[in-house]
Amino acid sequence: MPTVAIFIRAFRHLLDQMNVPRAVVTRFPLARPLGAPGDRERHRLVVDTALELLETAVQGHTIVELEVPYRVPRT
Amino acid sequence: MTDGRAESFAEFKDSFSYGSRTDLSFKFLKKLPEVEAAAFIAELFWLVGASQDDGDVEPIHQLLYEWQVRAYAPDPAVPPTWAYDDAPFTRLDKPLSESRVALFTSTGHFLEGDDPNPMGIEGLTQEASLDLINEFQRVTPELSTLDRDYEPEALRVRHPGYDIRGVEEDPNVAFPRDVLVVAEAEGQIGELAPRLFSFTGVTSQKRLNAHAIPGWIEELRNDAVDAVLLVPI
Repeated sequence: MPTVAIFIRAFRHLLDQMNVPRAVVTRFPLARPLGAPGDRERHRLVVDTALELLETAVQGHTIVELEVPYRVPRT
Repeated sequence: MTDGRAESFAEFKDSFSYGSRTDLSFKFLKKLPEVEAAAFIAELFWLVGASQDDGDVEPIHQLLYEWQVRAYAPDPAVPPTWAYDDAPFTRLDKPLSESRVALFTSTGHFLEGDDPNPMGIEGLTQEASLDLINEFQRVTPELSTLDRDYEPEALRVRHPGYDIRGVEEDPNVAFPRDVLVVAEAEGQIGELAPRLFSFTGVTSQKRLNAHAIPGWIEELRNDAVDAVLLVPI
C-alpha cells in the first residue's frame, strides 16, 4: 500500500533506519510536524508536499526536506 | 529541594522528563550532558531577555528547534536499535485525484465516547498518563478509528510522549483532517477515507510489528484505501 510520512527534522535519522518509502521532513519543533496552531497555509504546504510524493516518487526512500521555517519571520 | 538537600543541576535538567517539572517540549534536556544543557538554558535566557525589547520570539523558537535536533541526533558510535533489510515501495496505481487517502497517526487521537481506555483505565487524563509512561510502553496500543466527519468538539487527544498543547489548540498541527477535507474538495485527492486512524505511539516496535500492524493493515484494506498519509509523532 503506498504511504507517505511526515517527520520532523529531529527524527530524520529514523527515516533512514527504517527505509521509509516516502517522507516529508519539516524543520519544525517537536509535536508540531505540520506547523503552528492556526497556520493553515503551512499545514497545507506540508500536506501538499506529502501528497505530491505519492505520485512523483519512483523509488523507495524518497525524502523531501521542507526548508520553510516554523513561522514566517518578522519583517 | 530534594529530600531536604539542594537540587543538583543534573537533577534540575532531568526533572523536565517525567520528573517533578515534566514538560515534554523540554524533556530533551535529560539527553544532554550538563555542560550542554547549561549552554542551552543560558542562551534561552538571553533570547528571552532580548525579546522584552524587540518583541521577537522567533529566535527563541529557533533555539528550541535546534537543540531538539541536537539532543535527538543519534550517537554515531551506537548502532541503531532497529535495522530493516528491506525497503518497501509500492507505486500509486491510479492518479491521486482518483485515490482514496487515509490518515494514520500515532498522536493518540480518539473521539468522545470511544476512549481506548489504555490498560483498562477509564477516564485517564493527560496528566495521569504521564505517570504511566512505562506502562504504556509495555502494552500493545489499541487503534482508534474516527469517522472522517466527526464534529470538532468530539475530538480528544491523550499521549504521554509529547507536548499535546499544540494539537489541543489546533488538531491540524499533527492530525490534519481539515486540511485533507479541503484537498478532497479541491480535487487534489479522490476522497478522504471514511475512517481516520490513530493510536498512542508509545510502545515497542517489536510489539507493534508482531501484534498490531497486521490487523491495522487489514482495517485499511477493508476501507479500500489507495494510499495512506502517516503522521508519526
